[in-house]
Amino acid sequence: MGLLTRLASLSRNLIARKRVERELDDEVRSYEQLLADEKIRNGMSALEARRQARIELGGIEQVKEQVRDIRAGAWFGSLLQDLRYASRMLRKGPAFTVTAVLTLALGIGANTAIFTLLNAIMLRALPVRDPQQLVLLQWHAHKAPAFDEYSSFNDCATSGPGEENPWGCSFSSPMFDTIHQQTSVFDGTLAFAGPLPLNVSGNGSASMATGEIVSGDYFNVLGVRAALGRMIGPADDVVTAASVVVLRYGYWQEAFGGSPSAIGRTVRLNGVPFTIVGVAEPGFISLTPGKTQDMWLTRSIFPRVGFREGWSRVGDAGNAWLAVVARLKPGISATQAQAAVGLLFRNELGHGSTPLVDPTSDPSIVLLPAQSGLTGDRREYENPLHALMIAVCIILLATCANVAGLLLARSTSRRREIAVRLALGGPRMRVVRQLLTESILLSVLGGLVGVLVAFWGVHAITMLVSSDSLQRFNFAMTPDASVLTFTAAVSIVCGILFGLTPALVGTRIDLAPTLKENAACDDNPSARTPGFSLSSALVVVQIALAVVILTGAGLLIRTLQNLKNINPGFDSRNILLFSLDPALTGYETARIQNLYRELQSQFAALPGVISASYSSSALLAGDLSNGKITIEGQPDPREPYDVDQLSIASNFFDTMRIPIVAGRVFDAAEVAGNSRPAASPPPDTAKPSPFSTPTPLPVVINDAFVRRYFSKRNPLGMHLNRGNTTQSKTGTTDGKPRSRYWEIVGVVADTKYNELRREIRPTVYLPINGGGANFEVRTAVDPALMIPEIRAIIARADSNLPISRIRTESQEISHDLFQERLIARLSSFFGLLALLLACIGVYGLLSYDVARRSREFGIRRALGADVSAVLSLVIRRGIVLSVTGTMIGGATAIAGTRYLESLLYGVHAGDSSTLAAVVALLTIVVLAACYIPARRATRVDPMVALRHQ
Amino acid sequence: MTQNQTNLLQGTLDMMILKSLALAEMHGLGIARRIEQITKGTFQVKPGSLFPALHRMEEEGWLTSAWGESENNRRAKYYKLTSAGRRQLESETKRWGRISLAIARALETS
Repeated sequence: MGLLTRLASLSRNLIARKRVERELDDEVRSYEQLLADEKIRNGMSALEARRQARIELGGIEQVKEQVRDIRAGAWFGSLLQDLRYASRMLRKGPAFTVTAVLTLALGIGANTAIFTLLNAIMLRALPVRDPQQLVLLQWHAHKAPAFDEYSSFNDCATSGPGEENPWGCSFSSPMFDTIHQQTSVFDGTLAFAGPLPLNVSGNGSASMATGEIVSGDYFNVLGVRAALGRMIGPADDVVTAASVVVLRYGYWQEAFGGSPSAIGRTVRLNGVPFTIVGVAEPGFISLTPGKTQDMWLTRSIFPRVGFREGWSRVGDAGNAWLAVVARLKPGISATQAQAAVGLLFRNELGHGSTPLVDPTSDPSIVLLPAQSGLTGDRREYENPLHALMIAVCIILLATCANVAGLLLARSTSRRREIAVRLALGGPRMRVVRQLLTESILLSVLGGLVGVLVAFWGVHAITMLVSSDSLQRFNFAMTPDASVLTFTAAVSIVCGILFGLTPALVGTRIDLAPTLKENAACDDNPSARTPGFSLSSALVVVQIALAVVILTGAGLLIRTLQNLKNINPGFDSRNILLFSLDPALTGYETARIQNLYRELQSQFAALPGVISASYSSSALLAGDLSNGKITIEGQPDPREPYDVDQLSIASNFFDTMRIPIVAGRVFDAAEVAGNSRPAASPPPDTAKPSPFSTPTPLPVVINDAFVRRYFSKRNPLGMHLNRGNTTQSKTGTTDGKPRSRYWEIVGVVADTKYNELRREIRPTVYLPINGGGANFEVRTAVDPALMIPEIRAIIARADSNLPISRIRTESQEISHDLFQERLIARLSSFFGLLALLLACIGVYGLLSYDVARRSREFGIRRALGADVSAVLSLVIRRGIVLSVTGTMIGGATAIAGTRYLESLLYGVHAGDSSTLAAVVALLTIVVLAACYIPARRATRVDPMVALRHQ
Repeated sequence: MTQNQTNLLQGTLDMMILKSLALAEMHGLGIARRIEQITKGTFQVKPGSLFPALHRMEEEGWLTSAWGESENNRRAKYYKLTSAGRRQLESETKRWGRISLAIARALETS
């Protein structure tokens, strides 16, 4: 009861304030009146009665104030009062207010911008219904199960090749079916794989698109709805279902102009007619963050799409290619579900005609929360993002130190006002609270402007990222409530952080001396000593922080330089790259071979083209293929060896200008002649059978291979045997080498393969045999000029053949270095920001110092000190600040930049030359900042100073 | 009642106010005079204590107020007990009785 009435009073006190105030005033005055009447009745004169009444009352305002203090909502009233006073004080000093707000806006804005990125990439919930219920299945075993084929599509983290106790998240189709029927622990399960390339025709000219393979329940379990038409359902995931496909919203806009007539239309995917039945809702791009695909089709229908041979046995138990996500039943714990599914997994793998594991390898299932388990592209951005977050936090600290210094200086000039308030009996905490309100108001204003800064910052960063045309940034950067909450929280915390100390220090005053008018008392005794007052400490902190960030930036810039200076092993200028995948249009291997040869000779014949060739992947494009081999006649317990593989046309080395070190390259005839499939099994390494000796395939190896495995022998003529091939990153295979038996015919110089950072490994170059290929065309002119003619040649060969991924080798290399460039640029920006803040801090402190001590300087000059003596007084202070700051900053930088080690290349975290350069830079800048205040000190006219009160 | 005893006896002041309003509604000055009267001059409530107490008790829900006319036709704010206020008076009276009995016994024995 009391609470309700209290609340009612509170709301009345807040809303009807004027009325409540007026009533109180009336009441107290009426009391006074009645008191006076009483006295008149007792015989006093009217005048005397009123006077006595007033004295007895004790003062109307005091009584009213006492009532106000106990009122419900009293705290709010005083808060409002504080705010009004704070805003008035801020308005009175516009220069200070504007500087502080802008500085804070930069610091808070930078933090908000990076947090927006962090939120979009790392933290945002999956764009589906109840994402916290979803789990990702991950298998673990002591030895990898003997899958025939294993593919993964960058959905989740997997263990590296050859790691002990491997783990991964790809499962076979029959395994998924078993899990799908398990309804006791899961409310629903779904499987997906992709994206996979599709040749789309029947909608304008042929083009390449990507498709995601999903199980029938995919959209149901995720709760994704259709924007148009219908979504794929369980009825579509049977072998007898019609060929249907659902489009991604953005793809529907781009390729079909957003027209509703797209529903029901037929398009041909890899030549097979499919009906478009629906378009997904606009908010859903993909389940895995950062990935994207243009359309979805079901598991059962997908074998019709005529993928090459490697994909025909997708229903096999030995072919693991699907990622599995499930929705936990409410009330079931992850451990329960893990045990249940683990049992199914062990049974499935351990039994059947050929068990894929032996019991000792103890296969099990772990359920990861889908939000964190589906890493997608996140892992790529994780390290740089964390480094950036730390950088902006440091900037924020520097900003707070800067504004705290400004506030300290200001509170010194307001000492008299504060002294008066304290002397009048205001409790110290009340004054501190009011000063703190000013700080928080400042930082909230800074936060508001900071949001604008953040918008601009996020826009700029997104522009930077999109400028790399080869990189698609698929994270949605929409504004979010959590970002605004973050900004608000940061602003308030900042306000308290930088406001508290000046408030506490500013109210600790000796009242009597301060209240006197004597200007000599304006000198703060503690600051006269060359020791360290609080303001100096703040400036030192800013300098130290600037050193730390600049050192980090310097290391990252040097990393970029080192990477740019790497010699990749081939001539990367003026090479045009593009990809073809004729298998998707229905070509078989022999026809593909002919097509490639034909295209290559036509390209080479173009004026402006120096040479042309093709390979299974372009160099430095990020695609990697490796495999296991054994060397005949050199038995070694460590075999089979893991080596890199690349399938190439015979003039690849010529086009790429990779020198041949020994032997020769296989020629076109050898490549063509070996097109029949190997009928015989791999020969026994000990005793080749005399009855079926297969013709060995000629291969070329690189220098690294020779150094590693042939240090004592001539490699030419040696034989290699092929083991399993693992898939490359994009999920496609090069056409399987026909023979598993190879002969080394040549050695070439080392080149980088898929990325600049990766060291050069032993590599085997094989003759290419069909499959998708990447063409390299070396031109005499700008490669982009040749694009129309090349398109024309391909169109003449087959108008249904789409050409994809057109770019130059230089662009490819630039893309490889994209992240390093981005982070180097951003950290330099932040470094300069920190430098600017330190500069302003030093300048502000010294200016204030000089202004305060102008009388002292005047006296010194009057007593005969010359200009340089006064200058040195000021500069000495600056030097002390900068030396202390750089020392502390240097020590912190050495300790702290160790964190950056994973991002660096060619330079180490404790690199002394970078640190030395930064320290030198900062010292120069700080000394420059000292210059103007120092000059001002020398200009003080002694007579004016002496008379200054 | 002098100022330095106010803190200790705030609860007592509440009780005095409630008691004086038990029979009739009154304005502020009237309440002060009534308290003086019933305590035979021991408690002299200053407006600095009276008004905060009155407003606090009104916010608690023990009193309601209304503007009316006094003798001499002056406008004044009249206070009245609510039923919650009457209950509070009862419980306070009982509590005070217990306390004074306990203190009296304690003083007797030593």
